[in-house]
Amino acid sequence: MTRQPDVLIVGAGPAGLSAAVELARHGLTSGLVEQRDQVGGAIYRHHVGTGSYTLVMPEHHRRRRDLLIQGLAGAGGQVQQMLQSVLIGVDRDGRFLIDNRPLGRVQSLRPKAVILAVGTVEQVTPREGWELPGVVTAGGMQVQFKETGRAPTGPIVLAGGGPLLLALAAQLAAAGNPPLAVLERAQPLSSMWWQGRAVLQALRSWPDLLEAALYTRELLHARVPYLMGWQVASVQAKDTGLLVTAQHNSGLQRQFQVQHLALHDGLRPNTTGLPVAGEGAAGCIVHAGDCREVLGAAAAVNDGRRAARQVMRYLGQPFADDRRLDQAIAAARRTQTALATLFQAPPIVPTANTVLCRCEGQRRANFERLQVAGSARELRLVGRFGMGACQGRYCASAVSALAHEHGIEFDPGALNGDVQRWPMRPVALTALAAYADEQLV
Amino acid sequence: MQENPPQTLYWHLQAVPFHLGETIAAALLRAGIVVLGDAAGGMQGRYFCGIGNCQACLVSVDGASPVEACLTPAQPGMCLTPALQASSTPGVAT
Repeated sequence: MTRQPDVLIVGAGPAGLSAAVELARHGLTSGLVEQRDQVGGAIYRHHVGTGSYTLVMPEHHRRRRDLLIQGLAGAGGQVQQMLQSVLIGVDRDGRFLIDNRPLGRVQSLRPKAVILAVGTVEQVTPREGWELPGVVTAGGMQVQFKETGRAPTGPIVLAGGGPLLLALAAQLAAAGNPPLAVLERAQPLSSMWWQGRAVLQALRSWPDLLEAALYTRELLHARVPYLMGWQVASVQAKDTGLLVTAQHNSGLQRQFQVQHLALHDGLRPNTTGLPVAGEGAAGCIVHAGDCREVLGAAAAVNDGRRAARQVMRYLGQPFADDRRLDQAIAAARRTQTALATLFQAPPIVPTANTVLCRCEGQRRANFERLQVAGSARELRLVGRFGMGACQGRYCASAVSALAHEHGIEFDPGALNGDVQRWPMRPVALTALAAYADEQLV
Repeated sequence: MQENPPQTLYWHLQAVPFHLGETIAAALLRAGIVVLGDAAGGMQGRYFCGIGNCQACLVSVDGASPVEACLTPAQPGMCLTPALQASSTPGVAT
């Protein structure tokens, strides 16, 4: 990097890209930090495989992606891309520490303003056997499919809840390997009868309806069973694959022998370890896109622009609020709230043998043995919950729910501790040793 | 479609083909390698979230500190080993 950019943006998905383009349009420079070797984020993951490939995706997604990439090209040197680089935290003096992996060293930046757009964490509620190799998140299966253009080989089951399962099932079907079944915990169709208001709100979003129709047509064509009111009770390693035991709300059970099981129980903002949003003498920090509120890619583009405008105002440029951006984001929120209502499902209760914390191999039985743990701090220090490499991103909400049953109250975020600690992500000691303060002006 | 001839990396001593631009995780999946070695707490390493959040797919490249297989671009000649094995052998990291 040749000079300190005006604004640091972390994450080059729809929100980060949109913010970078908007800043450049108004003459501001940004440093765009992205953990992958290309921009676009998980939603716009590039296809790098060979041969033909069909990604079932609505046209409006493609248009938005192309506009962002064009905008980035138009911004030229005003956006300094730092690829394969990871934000590992903020130190006591407010320096943002970036693990620049191609350079093999940690760099620091102290920008006047920061836009954090690091997307979501996919929720996977612990079930017996979810920790086994071959079990992936639905989003994890989807990004790999986008990248290679190939569906995983062997039988697949998708399970959990929400519209992403439908999208992924349609994409796999179009690629020639339809899942054996989609197990949806909720009863979205019957919910429609008694959640009329939610249906009306969802109907107001025409692009989302078209998207749902596109996926449904593909699933009907491939005859993929969409089983509602079903959930995964357990997963066992069997032969060279997985034996998935599914259970209906009525108690009825069914088994599937598969190679791959993709789970998805919703999305949550990926804020673990991030500094909180706010404006102060030390600078301005804005969360944007799904990292602020999970509303999807279209809203993230608008939210990125809004974040850029907030930053420009902070830096002294006279910008009025843009009502249209606010309205578009509010509309996305209505749709998401309606979908959440339609896909409401009973909670999954972990059995004693269920792994709660995969990083440390801690099961529910280990939790129950922690008689003395009366606080989030003790759960961390004695029980090791939230102390693993994922830093509680996957176990914190489940542990919090169990603790609640035992009369211990804490926010899932509390599992990470009161004090922000870095690194948020593993970093090589060699990269830390080669640290260089980049206070270049 | 651009030419993108297959390249090779190694998981232990097993040759794994890939195309430039793919992640390590994509190459391993195609080769049918889903168990990425022993992990802490009696668990096994595996690909899971695909976006660097879960840290379950950490592998060591040429004996160095672990990196996420789901984020790291595959490169010709890489020698991959499970993350835990590398970190528990003092003096191996370069």
